[in-house]
Amino acid sequence: MDIQLKILRFNPEKDKQPYFQDFNLKNVSDDWRLLDVLHEIKWNYDGTLTFRRSCAHGICGSDGMKINGRNRLACSLLLKDINTKKPITIEPLPALPIIKDLVVDMTNFFDKYEVVKPYLINNSPPPPDGERLQSNEDAEKLFESAKCILCACCTTSCPSTWTNENYIGPAALVKAYRFIYDTRDEGADERMDILDTPDGIWRCHTIFNCVEACPKEINITWHISQLKKKISSREY
Amino acid sequence: METETKPAYHNIRTFDQKNWISQNLSYKKDTGSWAWIFHRISGIALIAYLFLHVYSLSPLAQGETAFNNKMQVYMTPFFMVVEWILFAFVLFHSLNGLRIVIVDWADGSNYHKQLYRWSWIIGILLFIAMGVLMFSFELKKFIQ
Repeated sequence: MDIQLKILRFNPEKDKQPYFQDFNLKNVSDDWRLLDVLHEIKWNYDGTLTFRRSCAHGICGSDGMKINGRNRLACSLLLKDINTKKPITIEPLPALPIIKDLVVDMTNFFDKYEVVKPYLINNSPPPPDGERLQSNEDAEKLFESAKCILCACCTTSCPSTWTNENYIGPAALVKAYRFIYDTRDEGADERMDILDTPDGIWRCHTIFNCVEACPKEINITWHISQLKKKISSREY
Repeated sequence: METETKPAYHNIRTFDQKNWISQNLSYKKDTGSWAWIFHRISGIALIAYLFLHVYSLSPLAQGETAFNNKMQVYMTPFFMVVEWILFAFVLFHSLNGLRIVIVDWADGSNYHKQLYRWSWIIGILLFIAMGVLMFSFELKKFIQ
C-alpha cells in the first residue's frame, strides 16, 4: 500500500511560519500505527522530522497530535482505521506554541494542571494501621477520571481554550474531579473555589470535542457536569 | 542575593498558534461542535432581532396610525417568510438550550448525540406546524 502524508514542519532557526511538507511512502502495511509511519519517515526519508514519543503504547501520552483534523495519539491509531485514499494531514496539538515540527511547549498545560492541586489533601491524622482505606464503591467512582494520561489531547481540542488561553481546560477539570470525589480527600472546598472563577469551569460550553479526542475514552463532559452540579449547589 | 535565572529552553523562539479562527475551521467537527456553532449563530441572530423588534415598535410613540402603517410592511409575504425563519432560530436555540440543561443537570452527556438528533426532529416538526399555522390563510386564498 502507498500512502501520502502532509506534515506541518517548523524549524525555529530557519522558518518564520510553519508549512506543510508532502511525503509519499511506498510499501506500507495497513496494520501499521501512525507512529510507525512517522518512524519510517524519520529513519528512512527525513531525519530532521521531530516528534515526541516514549512508550509507544498509549500509556505515556507524549505523542498526542492532530491527525486528519482531530487530536489523537499517533501510537494508538492504525492506518486501516483512517482514510488513506486522501493525504493524511499531521499537525502538532492546536493552541500550544510550536517548538519544532510536531513538538509543542506544554508549560501552559501543566501550569493549569497544577492549579487544581492534583494531590491528596488530608490534614487529619492517619488511622493507627497506617492506611486510609476506601470502599470498592467509592473507588469505582474515580476509576474513569483516574485513567487520564495527561496527553493534552482534550485541552487543546477545546474551542474555549483556542480563544482563551487562561481557561483551565478539561484535563485539569477531570483531575479536579478525581480528588474532589475522593472520600479520603479534604481539599474539595479549596479546589472548588479555584474552579468557580470566570476562567474556571464555567468556560465549558459542552462542545464535546474533548470527549471525541480522549484516547482513553473518558467521558470528560460528564465529569465536568458533575462538578458543575456540585459547585452550583454548594452551601456555605 | 541570588537572581532568578530562566531555564535555557525559555530562549527558544516558538511559533504561537493563536489563530482561533483557523483552529475552528480546520478542526474536525462532531455533533457537539455543530450544536455549539449553531447555538452561537442563532443566539447572535436573536440579539440582532431584538434590536429590530425594538425599532419596529418605536412608531407606537407617534400614535396608532403610524404604528399600523409600519405594521403593514411586516404583513408582506417577504417578511412573513423572514418571521418563519426567525421562528426556526428561536426553535433551535430553545431546544438546544434544553439539551444543554439536560447535559449539565441530568447526565445527558451519556446520550447527547441522541438528544441532538431529537432536538432536530422536534424542531423540524414544530417548524412545519408553524408554517401551516402562519400561511394557511394565504394558501386558502391562493387555491381559491
